[in-house]
Amino acid sequence: MMKEYFEELENGLQTAIDNNQGSIRMLYSLEIARLGKRLYSGEDKVAWCGIIAPFDLLSALDVTSCFVEFIGAMMAATNVAGDLIEETNHIGYSSDSCSYHRAVMGATMKELMPKPELLIGTTCPCSGGLAVIENLAAHFEKSFYLLQIPQDQAPKNVRYLADQMREMVSFVTKITGIPMDTEKVKFAMETSNKIREVLIEIFNLAKQVPSPVTGKDLSNFGIVMALFSGTESGLALAEAFRDELKQRSQNLTASGSNEKFRLLWIQNRIQFKNPIEKLLEDQYGAKIVIDELNDVTWGAVDPDDPYEGLASRAISIPFNGPAQNRVQHLQRLAEEYQVHGAINPCNWGCRQGTGSRGLIEASLKEIGVPVLNLEVDCIDHKKFTEGQFRTRVEAFMEMMDS
Amino acid sequence: MEQKKLIGYACAYTPLALIHAAGFTPYRILPDKDCPDQAGLILHDNLCPHVKRILDRAMDNQLPDLDGMVFMNSCDSMRRLADAWQQARPDIKMTLVDLPITSSDRDCAFFQGELQELSSTLEEWKGETLTPERLTGSIQIYNSLAENLEKLNTELQRGSTYNGAGLLQSTCLKASCTAPEEMVAEVESLIGSAGEEQQKDNSVPIYLFGNVLPDAEAFKMFAECGAGIVRDDLCTGSRLFAEVATRAEGLDDLLLDYAAGILNRQPCARTIVEAQPGKLAKDVIAGAKQYQVKGVIGYSLKFCDPYIARLPGIRAALKAEGIPFLMLEGDCTNRSIGQQKTRIEAFIEMLR
Amino acid sequence: MYYLGIDIGSLSCDSVLINDDETVLATSVVPTGARNKESIARATEETLRAASIEKKDVKAIVSTGYGRDRVEDRLSSVTEITCHARGIRAMLPDTRVLIDIGGQDSKSILLGEDGKVVDFAMNDKCAAGTGRFLEAMARALQVDIDEMGELDANAQGGLSISSICTVFAESEVVSLIADGTQVSEIVRGINNSIAFRTLSLVKRVAMKPDGFAIAMSGGVARNTGVVSAISAALGDINVSVPELPDTIGALGAALIAREKSA
Repeated sequence: MMKEYFEELENGLQTAIDNNQGSIRMLYSLEIARLGKRLYSGEDKVAWCGIIAPFDLLSALDVTSCFVEFIGAMMAATNVAGDLIEETNHIGYSSDSCSYHRAVMGATMKELMPKPELLIGTTCPCSGGLAVIENLAAHFEKSFYLLQIPQDQAPKNVRYLADQMREMVSFVTKITGIPMDTEKVKFAMETSNKIREVLIEIFNLAKQVPSPVTGKDLSNFGIVMALFSGTESGLALAEAFRDELKQRSQNLTASGSNEKFRLLWIQNRIQFKNPIEKLLEDQYGAKIVIDELNDVTWGAVDPDDPYEGLASRAISIPFNGPAQNRVQHLQRLAEEYQVHGAINPCNWGCRQGTGSRGLIEASLKEIGVPVLNLEVDCIDHKKFTEGQFRTRVEAFMEMMDS
Repeated sequence: MEQKKLIGYACAYTPLALIHAAGFTPYRILPDKDCPDQAGLILHDNLCPHVKRILDRAMDNQLPDLDGMVFMNSCDSMRRLADAWQQARPDIKMTLVDLPITSSDRDCAFFQGELQELSSTLEEWKGETLTPERLTGSIQIYNSLAENLEKLNTELQRGSTYNGAGLLQSTCLKASCTAPEEMVAEVESLIGSAGEEQQKDNSVPIYLFGNVLPDAEAFKMFAECGAGIVRDDLCTGSRLFAEVATRAEGLDDLLLDYAAGILNRQPCARTIVEAQPGKLAKDVIAGAKQYQVKGVIGYSLKFCDPYIARLPGIRAALKAEGIPFLMLEGDCTNRSIGQQKTRIEAFIEMLR
Repeated sequence: MYYLGIDIGSLSCDSVLINDDETVLATSVVPTGARNKESIARATEETLRAASIEKKDVKAIVSTGYGRDRVEDRLSSVTEITCHARGIRAMLPDTRVLIDIGGQDSKSILLGEDGKVVDFAMNDKCAAGTGRFLEAMARALQVDIDEMGELDANAQGGLSISSICTVFAESEVVSLIADGTQVSEIVRGINNSIAFRTLSLVKRVAMKPDGFAIAMSGGVARNTGVVSAISAALGDINVSVPELPDTIGALGAALIAREKSA
């Protein structure tokens, strides 16, 4: 069922793009559809992973890898997450936990989760996500390797993680039976470095006032681009975004903009269809110009010896380490993007994302950026109460507008 | 006697002997004080009640004089507690020790490095310089304590003392906040008197696992309901004190042995064995069989992600083994467990 | 000319009519039924009749509350946060922190010296402490919600609902009833529990609220037990309650209607 869904999605998008009706967002969706198709093809060697696994390295090892939360988000986008989440009630999976993960467990129970060859857990960003990887390994009776992400960039920490990544390569090649091709790895790393450069260009364009992005353009962008890292199609996609934004930026300077408020979105977006971006733009001229994860926090990786660089990249993710990292990162983004306010969805059950709610709120207020804490479930549309949601968003905008 | 300086801690994975060897008494900040609920202001309300109650204590100044606070990076909530501590109590020095999830040789070596750093930090906090002799001595004291607690449990079970688990629990809790030297002797005298009390009760033998249940009332209630807890696997119970075998003599090797000992002890849900996914369920079953219980009670705090994610697997595994199971949930308040009395009674009635 | 403010909440539909001098001419409070259009019509009608004004003389209507977008002939709709702030400014001009316990949402609003909203905080989805929670508790206790203030006054105090989670709190109340605890004591316990939730909302906008004039609006403000519990929780800071606290949101809406149509 899911395979057909992604195939249809791919064909539909491809047709639209061929007829020159495609937006950059469509190109992005096309890549997602292709990834979905591969995950469900039954032919690819699939690895379910934690969010900060080295997807470029895995792809160079001929493994189709993806973080499990991607499936939670897909299920939400297609409005089936709510039913899957309900399914987990029957096995006693507490509703206090994260809906991304409950949707994944529900999908597993309903046999909607592709069977992996192997699993790669990551201790960051959260205990809950890691637990799901362990559960999937038990369910599918497949081996898993765990990447433990240390708290900071101390040399011993980088070495610890780099050694794990080296061992991970042996683990993967042993299971797939495909030996590592060093040229392929080198090419993937070079491509990742190129993508990194393009991402920096994209984010610099988004920083412009007025910004050439719309509130939806870069939604989930940073975190999903990690899945395409190291690949030519990922590079092409990034370049298409850059070129489009460049073009728009030139037109903007000529034509002006109705941008009145610039907003920072903390953590991930709400994954099911919801009115927020439209409400903000149409009613208040407010635009989400930056998402927390749309940033390049790492340096280029040495293509000939990538492990230390990959380790350092994983450690650099602002979700890792002390909340102070996140706080400083968000303050920097707020200043660089000259935002007027920030929205924290406080995804229900996410100890990582919402656990620092108070610390984040206080630190952004400190630099004059008000924060709206939405308290929504970003996955389960059944829990979405539009009235409460609108009141919070509108009151926040009224406050800024007064 | 000169009062020893106190170092606070909050997690059962804390290297108590190392802190002790630096000349401090490890003092567990238990979530058992009645303080205003304000931790949600710094963090979020939907967060582990264990962590929130500890932070409430810190915010409400309900702490003894501490020379520092040692946090373990054991789960998201503990990580967040360390973050919040810096804001709530900047006057109390703190450090966070990274804690691997698995226990490979590489992990033990990494954790050894973390312990080394901790000992330097403790020294900066005016602690003693760590020497192999000091560390060996402290590990031995804690080993004696663990051994005595184990003996006490055996004695209590042999005599089927009424609410023996409650006595054991309150002893563990006291030990978590007291100098180990004192406790070794105290537990020894308890072992002596436990044997005298040969009062038979007809409680149903139960294996209890879970996370944080520091509440003596809860154990009293288990006893009243006829649940005889013959073995607990709680982070506030027996899991805190476990013997660690060390053989090495040099400081580095000794620390490595100690690191391995901590990483390999009875795990909480956050610890993983890669080769055996879902091992926690197997551990619970093994415990239930070893102690020949009639049923298993699980206890978890709300919002504990490591346990929440593993409970469905544990439930299914116990069912497959035909071992009756009751799950309780709480929020570190007396009443939340008090309300579950009917369930516990019904469960015991069912098992009789 | 006349200006009408309508606040369509989840429990009640309130309306306020003012003139160009910002004088309140009439108010009404009707329960929000299953069809809120009917409640809107009824509240409007009652207010206009009480003031002997015809609808054609109303220059502008501003709506607020959950049903704000259901008022068809409105000039605009504004959230209850902005409206309560505007309304309290007119009634108790010194107010800097406003507490409003609504049917679905509790909120604390920090007002600047100029009366504008500077910050606000609203309850988490799971939190106890909303008007609906109070209603559910009243039902569990089988008492009328309006009696709760009086019951609280008779309590000795000392009992607290220790559970923090709503679900636990509800079953705790049920088990207290089963234990034979006096209803007035339970009511006090519930009020204290609501007060603690509210305190945490207040602290989210003003960490040290003692320097600020604090007021409370919304229907729950008529419950003297809740108000005094909140006052005690804040550290015995006086919590002012305006006249007709239910209609503050609608009053704010009416005032905004006048400003916007000026």
